[in-house]
Amino acid sequence: MEARIVNKGQLPELLDKLAKDCDLIAPVKEETTTLFRKISGAKDAFLEYNNSDISPKGCFLPQNEKTFSYTYTGDSLEIVKPEGAKKTVLFGTRPCDIKAITTLDPVFEGVKFGDEYYSSKRENTVIIGLSCSKVLSTCFCYAFGGGPCDGTGSDLLFTEIGDKYYVEINTDKGKALVDTYSQIFSSQGADQLAKGKEELAQKLSGEFIRKVDLTGVKEVLDGNFELPYWDGDNYKKCIGCGTCTYVCPTCHCFDIFDYTTGDFTGDRIRCWDSCMYPEYTLMAGGHNPRPTRKERVRNRFMHKLKYHLDRYDMVGCVGCGRCVKKCPVNIDITKIINDLKEVAQNA
Amino acid sequence: MPNPTALTPYPVTITKIVDETSDVKTFTVVFDDPEIMENFGNKPGQVCMLSVFGEGESTISITSSPTRGKFLEFTVKRVGRLTEVLHQMEVGQKFGVRGPYGNWFPYEIMKGKDLFFVGGGFALAPIRSLIDYALSDQYRKDYGRVEILYGSRSYDDLCFKSDLFERWPSLSNTAIYTTVDRGGDNWKGRVGHVPGYVEEVAPSPENKFAIIAGPPIMIKFALPVMEKLGFKDEQIITTLEMRMKCCLGKCGRCNIGSKFVCVDGPVFSRAQLKGMPQEY
Ligand SMILES: Cc1cc2nc3c(=O)[nH]c(=O)nc-3n(C[C@H](O)[C@H](O)[C@H](O)COP(=O)(O)OP(=O)(O)OC[C@H]3O[C@@H](n4cnc5c(N)ncnc54)[C@H](O)[C@@H]3O)c2cc1C
Ligand code: FES
Repeated sequence: MEARIVNKGQLPELLDKLAKDCDLIAPVKEETTTLFRKISGAKDAFLEYNNSDISPKGCFLPQNEKTFSYTYTGDSLEIVKPEGAKKTVLFGTRPCDIKAITTLDPVFEGVKFGDEYYSSKRENTVIIGLSCSKVLSTCFCYAFGGGPCDGTGSDLLFTEIGDKYYVEINTDKGKALVDTYSQIFSSQGADQLAKGKEELAQKLSGEFIRKVDLTGVKEVLDGNFELPYWDGDNYKKCIGCGTCTYVCPTCHCFDIFDYTTGDFTGDRIRCWDSCMYPEYTLMAGGHNPRPTRKERVRNRFMHKLKYHLDRYDMVGCVGCGRCVKKCPVNIDITKIINDLKEVAQNA
Repeated sequence: MPNPTALTPYPVTITKIVDETSDVKTFTVVFDDPEIMENFGNKPGQVCMLSVFGEGESTISITSSPTRGKFLEFTVKRVGRLTEVLHQMEVGQKFGVRGPYGNWFPYEIMKGKDLFFVGGGFALAPIRSLIDYALSDQYRKDYGRVEILYGSRSYDDLCFKSDLFERWPSLSNTAIYTTVDRGGDNWKGRVGHVPGYVEEVAPSPENKFAIIAGPPIMIKFALPVMEKLGFKDEQIITTLEMRMKCCLGKCGRCNIGSKFVCVDGPVFSRAQLKGMPQEY
């Protein structure tokens, strides 16, 4: 694998150039919230973050997205699709969030049904990852085979070492970007920094506080839909606020509705939805297959720990810890995983 | 070619509307783009997403068999916002359609077999596509006897009356059994519920598939009857309904366990359903 070096002092120059040449999306801080937004240059970026409050999944699956606009006059019906995505660079993505994107890929780029909106953005975006420099108390990416310096899924991975970034080139797309800005990416001394990255990865891997072990969890969920565990406290605590689903980088449920500006003129919008809401599965006529929080909480965790695996051979959680941190009633997926492991052991 | 992965619908024009009951209408539509119509490629049992602009989308079964010609029929019950607006539309007006989605009845595996259809109320709609497929000039020889047992609350609630009383009985090797829960001046036929009538007609399970669609309560009471008659779980086919938004296995809401009804269904055998969580 090829690698380069970028002096930290040159990063603003790189970001300014990228913002000029394409859409540059990077972490920003708005009041107390860290999230990803299109920026106009290095001055807007906020890179001193550990884990953003809002994940960058919206770069590919925006919270609100127009899928087309329509005009119906009685005899003519016109449907106009938005243009495809522009060339974009997503800078500063943490390894867990990159993994989350690879978890969304099979949903939206499935063999049977793709998604032109998602794919267009995915194809036109270069993902530049940024290794973590710290492990938070809510982090548990290691439990799913990830790590604070794992660049899997990124085109380039930046790792901060002293006053430099060690840059790993993971794909041709990444290579093309490096070649375009070759005056900023130098190859001299990259080999020596490789060792520094190794050491950082090694050091951080020992800093996880949460012990999360998936052994036997999938097996205990297979064929055990009515597991008594789901009757326990978790659903009783849940207030159905949906926060977990909005901050989750792998949650992809959406709703589709029309935003009408005139009689038969308007936009078709898809927007994030949440399986934690009763309306999500409510059918005309009043029947609801998941009528209480018990079924909804079970479905969410079954989706993460079993259904996504059954369909795509990937766990639907990446260990970013956002739901653990943000849940107002402390429903904690790491506790659920460990409880289920215990259920498995006692079975 | 239609692009089934797109969230954008194709415009269709309504060419005919039949009032089936006081709250059910059948819309015949053709795509404005003849190429889309030609290549739509729907199979019996599949569904479409209907766009009524300003109201969004609804999942509706294709009621017509592809063997009947280059058009689609949708039989729609007025239950909420979108279906209300659709019911106000007239011949010549347009709405949008995308699809076809979902799996289809196993009509290849059913070849050489007799077919026994059990329908309740307006749920005859999704199985009508297979009835007409098996009864088409083209494929009639591939299937044995076709029997249809259908019931609704009253005579006025029976859908597809011209099929039931004229078209289907006139075709060879068919039998139509109709029943209503409540009789009336306009009904001289049988009165009683569907499950009891199935027991009375007592189809033999020999070399046969049973295709059942109806309200949950009818299915609940019909299944034990089928079982008593000797039908195995693999011989009983039904269709499921869940709330849907994308029909592409992405929006998440129509799952039953690891299966998405919109892509892995809506057609399931009773054997398949027994292997799935009872969450529908
Ligand atoms: C596989 C399948 C086949 C169907 N076939 C038919 C058919 O042939 N004819 C027919 O009349 N109805 C059919 N339905 C039900 C039909 O989709 C709903 O009755 C319809 O969407 C209600 O829309 P509404 O706007 O009038 O009701 P509202 O209650 O206002 O619903 C709002 C929205 O919720 C969604 N929704 C609500 N209920 C359902 C539901 N049961 N299924 C799916 N989405 C729902 C739709 O997007 C709808 O626009 C089918 C449903 C499924 C899942
Ligand atoms: S309707 Fe969206 S996943 Fe099935």
